[in-house]
Amino acid sequence: MLEFLIPNNMVCHATEAMLFASIGCGILAVLITQMKISSIGFTMAHGAFAGAAVGMFFGLNITLAAVVGSILIAFLLGPLSDKARMPVDTILGVLFGAMMAVAIFFYAWMVQLGMGYDASALMFGSVLSLYREEIYGLAFIMLLVIVFVIVFYKEISSMIFHMKIAEISGIKTRPMMYILLFMIALMVALTMPIVGGLLLYVWLVTPAAIAYQFCGTLKRMMIASPVIAGSISLIGTWVAFTFNLPIAPLSAVLFALVFLVAVIISPKRRIAREKYGAVKKE
Amino acid sequence: MSEAIVRLTDVTTTYEGAAHPVIHGINLAVNPGEFVIVGGPNGAGKTTLLETIAGLLPVVNGSVEICGEDILKKKNQLRKKLGYVIQNFDFDAYTPFTVEEVLIMARFGLLGLFKRPGEEDYAAVDTALSTLGIADLRKSHIGKLSGGQQQKVLIAHNLAKKPEILLLDEPFSNLDLATREHVCDVLCRIADLGVTIIIVSHAFDALPKRDVRVVVMKSGEIVLNKITPPECVQQTVRLTSES
Repeated sequence: MLEFLIPNNMVCHATEAMLFASIGCGILAVLITQMKISSIGFTMAHGAFAGAAVGMFFGLNITLAAVVGSILIAFLLGPLSDKARMPVDTILGVLFGAMMAVAIFFYAWMVQLGMGYDASALMFGSVLSLYREEIYGLAFIMLLVIVFVIVFYKEISSMIFHMKIAEISGIKTRPMMYILLFMIALMVALTMPIVGGLLLYVWLVTPAAIAYQFCGTLKRMMIASPVIAGSISLIGTWVAFTFNLPIAPLSAVLFALVFLVAVIISPKRRIAREKYGAVKKE
Repeated sequence: MSEAIVRLTDVTTTYEGAAHPVIHGINLAVNPGEFVIVGGPNGAGKTTLLETIAGLLPVVNGSVEICGEDILKKKNQLRKKLGYVIQNFDFDAYTPFTVEEVLIMARFGLLGLFKRPGEEDYAAVDTALSTLGIADLRKSHIGKLSGGQQQKVLIAHNLAKKPEILLLDEPFSNLDLATREHVCDVLCRIADLGVTIIIVSHAFDALPKRDVRVVVMKSGEIVLNKITPPECVQQTVRLTSES
């Protein structure tokens, strides 16, 4: 898709993959953080990781297995929480541990069987080994996420404000939540081969956390977060190719550094400091 | 029998996963334009009653009718007629919405899918803001307002919806006395326009200057349901709760 800009095929594929994944995750990150469902996103990401590990072990389609693993978490959550009569947060903790255990178990087994090189891609990602179809898939999901947010913006914003108030206002919160979880599951499953199961969460939270430092409204965050995520990932990809460094881990480190700088220079903190200073002077 | 706008017949409600019903055997009929005050001790089931009327809880037994139709069968349609000011809210400084955005959200359910709010919706927002006297807060972030101001915003949010029935759970809890009286006057004016008001409250220092229906609940049951003059409300609730 971007061959007219980047003649080198390998660099082009990596850039496209990182860009599409970052834009999609950047938008979903705003929804995940603002709806305060970070632990759901976290557990779904590890559900995808476990699914992919099982899929790879049994020679199945890894992306499909990751989608199944991720969706399974989303749909297990409600009934499990009801049956166990425990807070959702505790159930998420248990599921997260279980998914991590499954993933590590199959990873370790594959290492024992001499499949370690392939399996490590699940953990740390391998943007260079992507097929063209996978990049098209990512572009499609990214577009789907953008369309979803534009079309259902008023429903989404109501749910972010307050779930119960949205429900009473006449918003169909339950189906909207299922669609959102399905979107997260697809995005997570397709992003995992690029950035890896362990780093995926960086893309699902950090862009929104950075955007929040500079934006006061949801609309601005929705625009800023994917722009930030895309920019950091592009810079990470460029630096990684220039200095022969691993792309996803380098980008993840860049995300953390940018977040740190954002917190320091955030106008929100500056306002708080000025107010505090004014009080002290009095 | 008059045409009740809210009718609960032998209703038993429970929370998902709870072993026992919270309210049981509830019979209540409220006429259009009535002002209802629900009182009673903590844990009596007052909030559960409001949530049941709003169709937020599963009804184990009996039926809840709004405008003659079952709320659980026509939830989305009937909720367009309902306003509900919730009791527990905590909008922190991170909430990324202005007061105006919060109020326009009340209109979203009426619009349905794929439609954007228009002039009529923004006019309803303007009216609600002026009614509550918070037009100057329009562009403020809700999370940066005081508890009382947030409470007013939530009441205005519900007024912007132009509901036929307004349910309010402890609407005076964060308000000072002067504001309580102002809000109470606003609610009375709305009731005079034909809107049915059902309030759960412990605060009886601001009451409408008209007869109200007092409903007292105890251990999940209605123990008193009668029309009472405003000056007798506090005493009626206290005596019934203690008996």
